[in-house]
Amino acid sequence: MFSVTGLNGASSNGSINVKDAGLIGMITLRGDLKSDAIAKVIKVVTGTNIPDQRQCVFTSKGATAWMSPDELLVMVDYESVDATIAKMEKSLQGVHSLIVNVSDARAVFELTGSSIRDVISKGSPADMSSKILPVGEVRRTRIAQLAVAFWFTSDTTARLVCFRSVAGYVMDWLENASEKGSEVGFH
Amino acid sequence: MLNFRCPNCEITADETDLHCDGQAHIERFGAGASDDDLETYLFMRHNPKGVHFERWRHVFGCGKWFNAARCTVTLEVFGTYSAQSLVPPKSLINKIKKKRPEWEGFVK
Amino acid sequence: MKRYSAFAIAKNALSHHQGWERAWAKPQMKKEYDAVIVGAGGHGLATAFYLGKNYGITNVAIIEKGWLGGGNTGRNTTIIRSNYLQDPSAAIYEKARSLYETMSQDLNYNVMFSPRGVMMLAQTEAEIRGYKRTAHANKLQGVKTEYIGPQKVKDLCPIIELSGPRYPVLGALWQPRGGTARHDAVAWGYARACSEMGMDIIQQCEVTGVTQSRGKVTGLQTSKGDIKCKKLGIVVAGNSGHLAEMAGFRLPLESVALQALVSEPIKPCMDVVVMANTVHGYMSQSDKGEMVIGGGTDGFNNYTQRGSFHHLEETVRALIETFPMVSRLKMLRHWGGIVDVTGDRSPIISKTPLSGCFINCGWGTGGFKAIPGSGWAMAELMAKDEQTGLGAQFGLNRFQEGRFIDESVAAGVAH
Ligand SMILES: Cc1cc2nc3c(=O)[nH]c(=O)nc-3n(C[C@H](O)[C@H](O)[C@H](O)COP(=O)(O)OP(=O)(O)OC[C@H]3O[C@@H](n4cnc5c(N)ncnc54)[C@H](O)[C@@H]3O)c2cc1C
Ligand SMILES: [Zn+2]
Repeated sequence: MFSVTGLNGASSNGSINVKDAGLIGMITLRGDLKSDAIAKVIKVVTGTNIPDQRQCVFTSKGATAWMSPDELLVMVDYESVDATIAKMEKSLQGVHSLIVNVSDARAVFELTGSSIRDVISKGSPADMSSKILPVGEVRRTRIAQLAVAFWFTSDTTARLVCFRSVAGYVMDWLENASEKGSEVGFH
Repeated sequence: MLNFRCPNCEITADETDLHCDGQAHIERFGAGASDDDLETYLFMRHNPKGVHFERWRHVFGCGKWFNAARCTVTLEVFGTYSAQSLVPPKSLINKIKKKRPEWEGFVK
Repeated sequence: MKRYSAFAIAKNALSHHQGWERAWAKPQMKKEYDAVIVGAGGHGLATAFYLGKNYGITNVAIIEKGWLGGGNTGRNTTIIRSNYLQDPSAAIYEKARSLYETMSQDLNYNVMFSPRGVMMLAQTEAEIRGYKRTAHANKLQGVKTEYIGPQKVKDLCPIIELSGPRYPVLGALWQPRGGTARHDAVAWGYARACSEMGMDIIQQCEVTGVTQSRGKVTGLQTSKGDIKCKKLGIVVAGNSGHLAEMAGFRLPLESVALQALVSEPIKPCMDVVVMANTVHGYMSQSDKGEMVIGGGTDGFNNYTQRGSFHHLEETVRALIETFPMVSRLKMLRHWGGIVDVTGDRSPIISKTPLSGCFINCGWGTGGFKAIPGSGWAMAELMAKDEQTGLGAQFGLNRFQEGRFIDESVAAGVAH
């Protein structure tokens, strides 16, 4: 099978660098995040603990992001999604849970630069200060009229996820908001 | 701008991240209920000038519902609490009473 | 009272216009009235007017907490149309529209009714079907409307962008005798006529309580003292829930803020009213040249008479899509009004659990167009104490009986 991302490798280089993060395996897991069974399965597939509220945690194997009190986003290699899901379903047999492959339903952006917070602020109501949104914390909110989630992986790098069907629009939006000469210098 | 602290993800979000779904703590009636009860459940709404208990959903955020107490005249938000509560928490009611001594209290 | 006429203007010019008398009196409140109307908006004043004109009841007071016409009547975007889907609505709105045609003569007051035509754009397949259905229904109801194609839309309003960035214009429901009127003048004209009939308009007087005895209304408490009345009409739009609470009953409605804005005046560029319900915005041009603009309501109960900023943003976005030329316009003023919205988006003209107390409310985002028809029906209800005539179907009991007058599907934006 041949897969492409919704962004098909798009990138732009304005006040920040915006680029297609490529194919990423993404699995939504819903269930009781306090249960041992779920903690165990997360440890096995990504190597992480269950993240605290709103956190995104990583290991070399994968990442786990807290999306809501009963929802995690499990990120692994794109190629290993089917195997991972099979593993999860097997070990969660009998445990109330929901596991869905959303890899191709999302688009992921890699943002790099020192003014990412300013750029996103141009179209999101989220408080982008580093005190409210420190590195490693996930924010689910909107950009323009669209649902997005993002988190900083370092002071100058962040990931942003949106629905695949609006990937082109979000790309245009980010490119526009980071156009050179439009820097705000607030954050 | 209206801001609420979502009790589910504990983030303060503005109204554009949220959706309001009207009066909270509505008693539900189904088939076999009296005309009066059904009418009240479906159509009759508290519409006070003042303290209002209502349901909100953190649509663009964690996606979860919560309840809030808000003043419809000043837009002051007194507090938010779990959507699973049958009545507003005592502490919230006391807090509102302190701020609005003339308030008649929570009525279902 | 002296009649207004061209001759009167000429005559008064000779005395440098110092000789005009007040349009309405400033009376002292009496102790008792046959009927008291709470709320001197268009609907309250029209109710009083038809109580006098159609039923000879003139011992009437109209009590207003602010100034007359200062509620939604003075805040709306004045669209007048009667292209509703359901029979009872079409009947009352068409009655109102036809009364608008002769209102200036009837009241001897220029309300500047301008039947310039109203079009509601169809921008989705579903809207095409919906509007065709309405046009057919209107034909049966005797309301003159027509479904028109995109070319006719462009002919009638050249500044519309037919291809639209999000939604193309596929056609429209066109009511050639719909239009606009001067909102303040409607209130002032009725006020002058009521005053002339000897009715008392008491302004700056807030109703704070309703007194009753054995299930029957006996009077009111107000900020200017108590008064007695045999009949009470509550006509306070967004404040209806609040007044109903005083009278001891609940209403199936919620009060929300609706906003409007006007631009700087520009040369005449559109001579029809255009409503674009899918993108959620509508516009007309006032006689002063300002573009008069409105959009949707906020999604939460609100009494602050101002709405959320993002709704304004949405409205402006919708307009720029529909009329790209307005993108450079500066907006002059922006305001909000509290509208009372019912479950079926139709009004309530009804007897209440309290005998002698009647309510007229629920006109929501679109009651300006209904003012004369609503007053006509409310006066009949109050005079006869019977749910009959034009208002017969608009009783409160319809919610219990499941007998809705469902206009919510017919129009997302119902101004
Ligand atoms: C922004 C906006 C745009 C609109 N656009 C349109 C449109 O294009 N076309 C259309 O047909 N309709 C439109 N409407 C709706 C229309 O304005 C209303 O339906 C109509 O004006 C209601 O008239 P009313 O007389 O019932 O209420 P109001 O004019 O609001 O009058 C009610 C009066 O009651 C008084 N009152 C309230 N409480 C008390 C009290 N306790 N004691 C004494 N007095 C009290 C208030 O001060 C007020 O003056 C719009 C409304 C708004 C807000
Ligand atoms: Zn939340």
